[in-house]
Amino acid sequence: MDIKAYIESGVIESYVLGMAEAQEAAELQELSRQYPEIKQAIDAFEASLEQTAFANAMAPPSAVKQNLMASLKDDFIQEKPVLPAKQPVYTKHTTEMAPVKSLSWMMYVAAASIILFVVSAALNVYLYKKYDHTNNRYLALLKENTTITADNKVYQTRMLDIYNSMEVMGSPDMIKVALPGINGKENDLATVFWDSKTKDVYVLANNLPKPNDDKQYQLWALVDGKPVDAGMLDDCNGLCKLKNIPRAQAFAITLEKKGGSPVPDLTQLHVMGKVV
Amino acid sequence: MEAVKKYGEQELVLMLKQRQQPAFSYLYDNYSAALQAVIMNIVTDYDRAADVLQEVFVKIWKQIETYDDTKGRLFTWMLNIARNASIDTVRSKAWQNSKQNNELTEQNFTAAGTVQTNVDQIGLRKIVYQLKEEHKLLVELSYFKGYTQDEISKMLDIPLGTVKTRLRTALTQLRQIIK
Repeated sequence: MDIKAYIESGVIESYVLGMAEAQEAAELQELSRQYPEIKQAIDAFEASLEQTAFANAMAPPSAVKQNLMASLKDDFIQEKPVLPAKQPVYTKHTTEMAPVKSLSWMMYVAAASIILFVVSAALNVYLYKKYDHTNNRYLALLKENTTITADNKVYQTRMLDIYNSMEVMGSPDMIKVALPGINGKENDLATVFWDSKTKDVYVLANNLPKPNDDKQYQLWALVDGKPVDAGMLDDCNGLCKLKNIPRAQAFAITLEKKGGSPVPDLTQLHVMGKVV
Repeated sequence: MEAVKKYGEQELVLMLKQRQQPAFSYLYDNYSAALQAVIMNIVTDYDRAADVLQEVFVKIWKQIETYDDTKGRLFTWMLNIARNASIDTVRSKAWQNSKQNNELTEQNFTAAGTVQTNVDQIGLRKIVYQLKEEHKLLVELSYFKGYTQDEISKMLDIPLGTVKTRLRTALTQLRQIIK
């Protein structure tokens, strides 16, 4: 048999690559036992094939090994016969470590939960206090705002009254009658503005003591020596518009009971002035 | 790239037959990348090749008892398991169906009898690409597609004897290239 020709025939490659027919393969196995050259040629081709495969190796995804180790884990022996002394330590280690590991894992989760709960509760208290404080400040500001708005309206009204008063006082038809304080009440002062056309009477209380709640100042027009009721001084801004007096020689103000009197109480006379 | 071997082949096989987990872990670490590339030669898609690789290692694990080191190297034995599993995969119904959506990456055998080749071939397939056209086709069909010589003879309308001779010649040349 021409061994060299047989080796060169391609049957070896065919066999190694798993492409040989059963009969060919059996024949080759038989011959390889008889002829070391054939055995050698097979080994050489296998070695170069393995080398080629390693030279072109391509790493598979790491998940493949994890899957394999997991799916075959019941197939692996528990004890290593080669190293009997070491193995029990290994298994003991793994079987006892596992529950401890999972327990500590759960404890970490539990501890984390408690910490989270405490932190959350503290945060709630803190935020509630902050909310309460802010809400109180808000209510205070709201109240202050209402007060300021109300005050503003009061001032606006007062301003308008004063403006109107100035209009009245500035009119060229206005007769101004100064009413100085009488003896003993020299500090008191009032002014009567009397429209010479419409005969309306206005009073400006320049300086009159604040009356008691049951008392009220009353203006009198002196017509031919007789006092005529000219109206009550209210708590007006600027000028108080009183009654229409067609004719008068003088004006006087007395302090009377609230609502006024038909006849002046001359003991309570405060100011008086003649029409010039 | 010569892998640094911790175990000799015989020792490794013995440990595998004893069902030792570290031996299997080592086997995987040492051979998975080489076998992934081998599978890629036939399956071409990386993720699908990885699925086949997983299947192949399960087979190796289950069939390690049948491995006979007098008949060849451990790698040769695993290579053939990988090749058969890959061919089974590409011939499966599921693969044929998905292939229609994947025409461009699949290496197709055309009616004219030429092999459409991929430019980024690796490993053994790259070596096969260096063969003469008539040889390349035969190796492609028989080794990578798993057709028998009889099937190839009918498919290409070439006498069986010619197929045999050409294939033998092709394989001899292949050995010269990878030597």
